[in-house]
Amino acid sequence: MSTFTRGSTSKSTGSTSDGKNGTTGGTMNGTTGGTLKATTAEADRRPRLSGMTWLVWRQHRAAFWTILAATALCVAWIVHQRGRLVDFLDGYGYPGKSLDEAGGTFQQYGDAFSFVSLGLQAIPILLGVFLGAPLIAGDLENGTAKLVAAQSMSRTRWLATKLALAGLVVVVSTGVLSAVFGWWWNPVKSEAMVMDWTSGEAFNTTGPVPVALTLFSVFGGVAIGVVLRRTLTAMVVTFGFTVVLQLVWGYFLLSLGNVVTVTTNKGVTDENVFPSLPHGAYEIDQSYVAGSGDLVGWGTCSGSLTDAARQVCLDKEDVVGWSVRYLPLSQMNAMQWFGASILFALTAGVVAFLFLWGRKRLV
Amino acid sequence: MYAGEPAIEAYGLGMRYRRGWALRDCSFRLPAGRICGLVGPNGAGKTTLLSIAAHVLQPTNGSISLFGEAPGSVESGRRTAFLAQEKPLFRRFTVAETLRLGRELNPGWDRRAAEDIIRAGDVPFDARISTLSGGQRTRVALALAFGKRPDLLMLDEPMSDLDPVVRHEITGTLLAEAAERGTTVLMSTHVLAELENVCDYLVVVSGGGVRLAGDVDELMSVHTLVTGAKEGDGMPPALGHHTLVESRTSGRQFTALIRPEGPVTGPWDMNAPNMEELLLAYLRSPDAPPLITPTAQVHGQGFGAGAVAA
Repeated sequence: MSTFTRGSTSKSTGSTSDGKNGTTGGTMNGTTGGTLKATTAEADRRPRLSGMTWLVWRQHRAAFWTILAATALCVAWIVHQRGRLVDFLDGYGYPGKSLDEAGGTFQQYGDAFSFVSLGLQAIPILLGVFLGAPLIAGDLENGTAKLVAAQSMSRTRWLATKLALAGLVVVVSTGVLSAVFGWWWNPVKSEAMVMDWTSGEAFNTTGPVPVALTLFSVFGGVAIGVVLRRTLTAMVVTFGFTVVLQLVWGYFLLSLGNVVTVTTNKGVTDENVFPSLPHGAYEIDQSYVAGSGDLVGWGTCSGSLTDAARQVCLDKEDVVGWSVRYLPLSQMNAMQWFGASILFALTAGVVAFLFLWGRKRLV
Repeated sequence: MYAGEPAIEAYGLGMRYRRGWALRDCSFRLPAGRICGLVGPNGAGKTTLLSIAAHVLQPTNGSISLFGEAPGSVESGRRTAFLAQEKPLFRRFTVAETLRLGRELNPGWDRRAAEDIIRAGDVPFDARISTLSGGQRTRVALALAFGKRPDLLMLDEPMSDLDPVVRHEITGTLLAEAAERGTTVLMSTHVLAELENVCDYLVVVSGGGVRLAGDVDELMSVHTLVTGAKEGDGMPPALGHHTLVESRTSGRQFTALIRPEGPVTGPWDMNAPNMEELLLAYLRSPDAPPLITPTAQVHGQGFGAGAVAA
């Protein structure tokens, strides 16, 4: 986990001309044992971190490496799962044959999505609480913000480096996960029985949405941390903030699309008069439409005992057909980008606040 | 009298916290190249003053300049080093990594100076900061401050958790480094014994204001410690026209620290006070008239000047 930084540290210590310090470098390297040669060579080949970047990476390397390692594990798992899914679908004959008939044999492949999706949806909350909230609150609490402020570099630089590195790790991690998860889901995207695309489990885990949600949660956590200046309090409040963000986001999710309305005029009682929606469309609501164009609830006349009585009732209401409002699957991408851009704008606002605050009261 | 470039100039500095004023109308000047003790009782505003100078706090009113620059400017950030009272360090870093922090963040980093200070205390370079003792941590923090090669070094209670031997040794290092490079040092403390033979300049703050500021020799020379037999209550009338800093009686004796406004005559013992007596007198009597000697005055500051026969 620490090979990268350990390698560069030993290099810096080892390069001194002083004999005693050279020994120190030796003992430090000794702890890494057999990997010494490999890590040193590796460190030389890679671009060496320096300045503020080195400091921020060194301080948060455990968190950063944990995030990146967990991402890699998750990606490996998804690639494996996709392989199994594609094998099954090929053997089954999808999309020629509908998955509705597969029954229990498909169950495990569908469940895998829900399981992984649940983990992905928890990422904004987890990273907000464990990466965002302590990012600067920890330095304010331990006084290390004062230590950094006492060096020659400006605090704006420190703040910018912290936000940039944390943001980079978040974007790389969530971006890769989102892409790989979307790639896994793509073959069965239009199957509502796998994942309904308007539900959080699909909408919040693919495209730009996980990146935007996580970035806003993490930077929101940073802002909460700098205001409260206490790590634990900041983590608790950030937890509340991220959960509320998820709820608000879920509430407004469908408003991101342009609802399509389809109306018919062939009555409502005959067979096959219900409008056919595109495959994968999400139906928001349905109602009868009267000759005047007014909508009438589809429960109207349901109290009639006979078909004839119902027909009389419908005629009296002048019902001429169905009106169905829905969101087509083709809008998913646009909705995700629209929602994500709102979140990105909010994130930019938070970053602006952080820099303003950084000029006024950073330590 | 206005010798040398000023390292610090404070103009009417005030700092108000929620519970009240920690610092009020604080003006003084510290010429460059001096080793200045910042003295005061607990809660006198020493840390607040240093924090404002180190750009950790923004003053409520007034201003301070370091070598003519505002705190927080690139220039003053490079030329000054500040060691906060709690000596913050990254606990999970090793000593070597802590020094690397200094090297990465300071363009003029002096690696040898920093490593020499660490080595003098036999602190292992691969030890984590969290495993070090308080004194070792102070040493690492000092090494970080020295390695920056500052022109102005501000230390907030630097020796408070060191044993006398280490304190002595670190003080020696401090003086040697400062003398070699002409570093200005502003060091706060409430341990008066730390100051004797270390400081050649003094700033005493108490109750949020500057009570005494100036060159140590000058401050000593304008004060007289008068000891004599007590006659009735209070001060002998013959001393009345001198400025009284503090008078105490014990049994049939009285002791008074005065700033003579002319020849002192009378049946008393007159001595020059030592630094501890001088400081104690000012710290014990917050109502004594403040004394800012001309070298410690900023422009437009007149009070106290007449009291100095210089």
